[in-house]
Amino acid sequence: MSGFVSLYLDPQIRDWVLFPITLVMILVGILRHYVVILLQSPPKKLPREAVREQRALTRSQVLRSSAANSPIPPTYYKSISRHLSEAFEAGTYLKDGPPREGDAPKAPPNPMSDPAAMDGMMAGMKTQMVMMVPQMVIMGWINFFFQGFVLIKLPFPLTLGFKSMLQRGIETQDMDVRWVSSLSWYFLNFFGLNGLYRLILGGDNSADSSRDMTASPFAAAPAAGAPDFGKLFKAERDNLEFSEGLYSWVGEGVEDRVLQRYGLKSP
Amino acid sequence: MALSRSSALEKLATFRTNNTRASQETFQTASVILKSAQKLGDDGWAVLEQLFLAAVDVGRLDVADQSLKQLADRFPESPRVDVLTGIRMEASESPEVVLTYYAQLLDADSANAAIWKRRISILRRTGKVEKAVEELTQLLDTFYTDLDGWLELADIYTTCNQYHLALQALSHALLLAPQNPFYVLQFAETAYTAGDLPLALKTFLVVVDMCERDLDAPEHQPAAGVAVRAWMGVKLASRRLMINSSPSASNTAVPKTLNLIEELATERVLSAYAAKGAASRGGKGAQGKDVVVGWVGAR
Repeated sequence: MSGFVSLYLDPQIRDWVLFPITLVMILVGILRHYVVILLQSPPKKLPREAVREQRALTRSQVLRSSAANSPIPPTYYKSISRHLSEAFEAGTYLKDGPPREGDAPKAPPNPMSDPAAMDGMMAGMKTQMVMMVPQMVIMGWINFFFQGFVLIKLPFPLTLGFKSMLQRGIETQDMDVRWVSSLSWYFLNFFGLNGLYRLILGGDNSADSSRDMTASPFAAAPAAGAPDFGKLFKAERDNLEFSEGLYSWVGEGVEDRVLQRYGLKSP
Repeated sequence: MALSRSSALEKLATFRTNNTRASQETFQTASVILKSAQKLGDDGWAVLEQLFLAAVDVGRLDVADQSLKQLADRFPESPRVDVLTGIRMEASESPEVVLTYYAQLLDADSANAAIWKRRISILRRTGKVEKAVEELTQLLDTFYTDLDGWLELADIYTTCNQYHLALQALSHALLLAPQNPFYVLQFAETAYTAGDLPLALKTFLVVVDMCERDLDAPEHQPAAGVAVRAWMGVKLASRRLMINSSPSASNTAVPKTLNLIEELATERVLSAYAAKGAASRGGKGAQGKDVVVGWVGAR
């Protein structure tokens, strides 16, 4: 059984099926890269107030990150910390200014009615479409013309577990796992061409479609949508209070440390 | 030729990353490269921008205009080119004209930090310090992490003798770059000038601590670099504190081991200057030595 070739592959299959499938997939990937570049809208410019709101949290994060060994003396730390805490409480950093008395608490905006959120979602959808459509067309093309074709024989043996991966579209129990069907060749290319794209198009190309499989346009939208900064600020106040408990100045006892280093004071 | 060109490109790239302002050298190197070669790829645009800035710096406005025109043709609506256009205008136009140009740009995009900062620099240069401070605080309120902005604010406050406000601005700078001893030193010196001696003494000691933390045996080698200045500051502050203990605006306690610290500082300053005198031949480096020794010895 083993030792002689049980199947003979026509070289025409190699020339007219194997190479074209690979070539078409590479070209579609490159095309996709450029289409995505065309579709990308420039990042929207935010007004000053919105930038300020977005970055307000970094202020307290910067302060807190070094609180346990802070470079600034206690009075300065306390004044900054208290100022931030009051500003967060009053909502000074909110885009629309501090909330007035009697304002009804705002409901979270509906992403379908908010044009800004809609834009983000559309951008995700567009790249998804550029990914999905050509892949579906190629798959349909292969299924229609080359269904059940055996394209190549791998030069190394494999276990039976690979049968479903390498021989999709061929329902033969007894065939050696080393034979690869056309549909499986498509999938191998689909997941394996990224390295080639990186060679041709550079590191951050958008030709590889297998990466987008995991990201759904709808799952990404809420995360990118505007968080409720009012709530975030309120939560940050607790963190500030906590850090104030941790706070110690780096200058605390620094004279003893220096003297110890010179051996003038026993530790 | 090819080798020298690639090494010249490399030199320019180093200048770019290190923010070196060697304008004359940059100007010569970059203009040779741009003349000799047509194709530089994407690197060429960065070199062109560099050439533009260097040309403005050395006063060759004709070269600056040429490179700016090329950049503007290639990137018509780039905000970065807008900034360059503003710089070119600052070189020859009156401040009012440039200010209106910047105001237009800021109307279109109010969060354009680069234009905003240039506007502030013009305001300060033309003497409208009050307006500059107002704009700068607004900028820092929006872009808190702008370290240079905080240092500039501290500098403006210092020139206006507002040392306590300068200390506040510097404390933000310290938060943003806690690893840089030079900013701590600036904080300490500002505190000393403001008359807050205990705070200054502590902060000078922090600088010393930062600089000598990694030395194995600091007592066997003279202080070097920023540490010399810090030790000098320790000496100054502790001496004045020994004569009369002034109250501290920031309620910093005077260290109990003040005498020990004063002695140590004296020793360190003297050893640093002795080493300097020995290291340089001809006694030029030791120029200040007699003054320092005389002053330190006087008590």
